[in-house]
Amino acid sequence: MTQTTIILSIAAIILIVINSKKTGKQYEGLKLGLTQFLQTAPIILGAFILAGIIEVLIPREFVQNWLSREAGLKGIVLGTFGGMLLAMGPYAFYPIVASIMASGAGLGTIISIITGWVLLGLSKFPYETGFFGVKFTVKKLIFSIPFCFLAGLIAYILELTILT
Amino acid sequence: MKQSLIVIYGSLAILIIIAYFVGGSAIILEGLNISIVTMYKSFLMLVASFIIIGQLNVLLSKDAIEKWLQKFSGIKAIIVSAIAGGLFPGGPYIYYPFVLSFREKKLPFYILITFIFGKQVYDLSRLPMEASLVSPEIALIRHLITFPIPIIVGLLALRLYGSTVSINPTLKAGENDDSDNYNS
Repeated sequence: MTQTTIILSIAAIILIVINSKKTGKQYEGLKLGLTQFLQTAPIILGAFILAGIIEVLIPREFVQNWLSREAGLKGIVLGTFGGMLLAMGPYAFYPIVASIMASGAGLGTIISIITGWVLLGLSKFPYETGFFGVKFTVKKLIFSIPFCFLAGLIAYILELTILT
Repeated sequence: MKQSLIVIYGSLAILIIIAYFVGGSAIILEGLNISIVTMYKSFLMLVASFIIIGQLNVLLSKDAIEKWLQKFSGIKAIIVSAIAGGLFPGGPYIYYPFVLSFREKKLPFYILITFIFGKQVYDLSRLPMEASLVSPEIALIRHLITFPIPIIVGLLALRLYGSTVSINPTLKAGENDDSDNYNS
């Protein structure tokens, strides 16, 4: 965790320097980031609490049977549709994924949850149907499902072979 | 934002009630303890993540991305469009109207669909959050595995629909494109 903080801090400093040299709008960027942080703070706070409660509530047997590495394809399918149903922004979604991971979910499940949320996430539906129409949204959704399964399957195989 | 708040706090209320019936107040306190520890550990990462997001929003302008997209065609355009999608700042209420404007600029469908998938799969502004809140290893593995998706989608669209300029090239003659409402 400390390592990630250091890497992210270095990336932030590099971007501030690039912005100061290229656009001169580094303070605008800082203000923008801070404003976004403050605006999303209530969501982040709620998501952290929600994630903590989920972590203690998920029964170990459920994780073992449905989400763990041993669950195999069941975890990938459940993960894909679970990710789709988590209709929330990244600030709320990622802490929940972290709690599912902490409870013992396999890599295939975690990757399919994230890919399912990224490609099928229901929170995008109102915008997508609003701008592109229902037909486009439904076709895109159906077309995207195999990609989520495939991503989960690749991660599952990776976990079984290379990452063990 | 409001919708997310309702979903989060509504779910939280329901789960707290369930937790109370499952394990009493002890299980709720245990969950809260985990939350506080995670929050404490993640605070600095979150601050750094938001600084990155703010700087990226200023650095990558809509105009610059638009210029890249109009420069290329074919496979090059697919790669540029996927990356441009990943770099494009803002949520769906910002990038969907931007994508919708592709039709007026006569950009083909395969560039449009690649851009959408690029935005959803790569989204650079989401990467710091994924690395800090889940784990850098998971973020790396997920990005490596899903990296080809927008490019595959773009190639399929190019093969199936060629350079058709439309939001919905699968529609038959006479069928209505729902998105027309937004352009008229």
